[in-house]
Amino acid sequence: MNRTLSRRIFLSLAALGAGARLADLAAGYTFAGPAHAAPARYTLDAARSLVRFETSFGPDLITGDMPVKAADLTLDFANVANCRVLVRLDVAHAKASFPFAAQAMKGPKVLDSAGYPEILFKSTSVRRNGDGARVSGDMTIKGVTRPVTLDAAFYRQKGTVAGDLDHLSIHLTGLVNRSDYGAIGWSDMVADEVRLDIVARIDRTQ
Amino acid sequence: MAAPLPTFGLLTRVLHWLMAAGILSTFALGAYVARMEVGLSNLWLFGLHKTIGISLLALAGVRLLWHRLRPPPGPLPGPPKWQMALARATHRALYVLMFAVPLSGWAYASATGLDVLIFNRFVLPPIAPVSETWEARLLLLHQTLTRTLLALVALHVAGALKRGLISRDGTIARMIRG
Repeated sequence: MNRTLSRRIFLSLAALGAGARLADLAAGYTFAGPAHAAPARYTLDAARSLVRFETSFGPDLITGDMPVKAADLTLDFANVANCRVLVRLDVAHAKASFPFAAQAMKGPKVLDSAGYPEILFKSTSVRRNGDGARVSGDMTIKGVTRPVTLDAAFYRQKGTVAGDLDHLSIHLTGLVNRSDYGAIGWSDMVADEVRLDIVARIDRTQ
Repeated sequence: MAAPLPTFGLLTRVLHWLMAAGILSTFALGAYVARMEVGLSNLWLFGLHKTIGISLLALAGVRLLWHRLRPPPGPLPGPPKWQMALARATHRALYVLMFAVPLSGWAYASATGLDVLIFNRFVLPPIAPVSETWEARLLLLHQTLTRTLLALVALHVAGALKRGLISRDGTIARMIRG
């Protein structure tokens, strides 16, 4: 089901083809009124969002996804430095591409979901990067907090018009090294570097 | 208890050779999976190693039970007393290890925290705590017991060859043909 969901999200992103430049989004207030230039709260549409990860397993890949437990998003497209992002991931319900991988990942040698059921990401700074943004923050995995940087690209959602800031899709990519967090189990078989690929669909609440 | 048969029965011989083949092949497989680059295409070999190992554990149980029901004949006379004693001790140790090696492997697999899956469908209950300390110790135990088993198999084969090629007393023939 998740593979289908993932494919659907990526297909819909591709079909959209409407990468929104941050500058255009910042100009969004000209469509919707100056009130929108202020930081706005967003909620995550968790059912249509996906936090995917991927790592090397010998010559192959282990892929999977992790549900978002909670997200607190304040975005300001006119002044991205005002953006604040807080995301909690549900480690216990993470899925991986084959059963042993999921079990190994959630077990005590890697993420230890029994002891650390959440992964936390809290932004520390957001700055413009070309058409998108670079989101720096603290990632807490297995009780260890380390800085992480994610690259964000913005997309309009299907059925929305240019400049509509009420419904957006954000594609975030980044890397974490398991060893930074002491999540080193099976390092003889599974790579240290884990690539993150996140599609977040967000809706403005105010 | 029934009187010992003068020769080895069919089931006794089948169990002997089946387990001989199983022990050698699962050792080779275990040594291979411990060194290979693991990926999706060869992950199943771990399952095969466990499946053969647990099958050998079950066969060892069947074999002990069968020997209770139909005691095998004693050794053919001839060799000096110390050789007879060595053969007897070797056989006993082989039987102990036929249980100890798969059990230590099962315990090691349990300590990794992953399901011990055999025949690609049955999950065995864990028989050791999930802990990296236990995992390391049980792997060492499994490897040490396996090497001991192989050394005893070599001694057993040497004894059989000595009887077959030097004494020519029919010991090997009766394990093959009954």
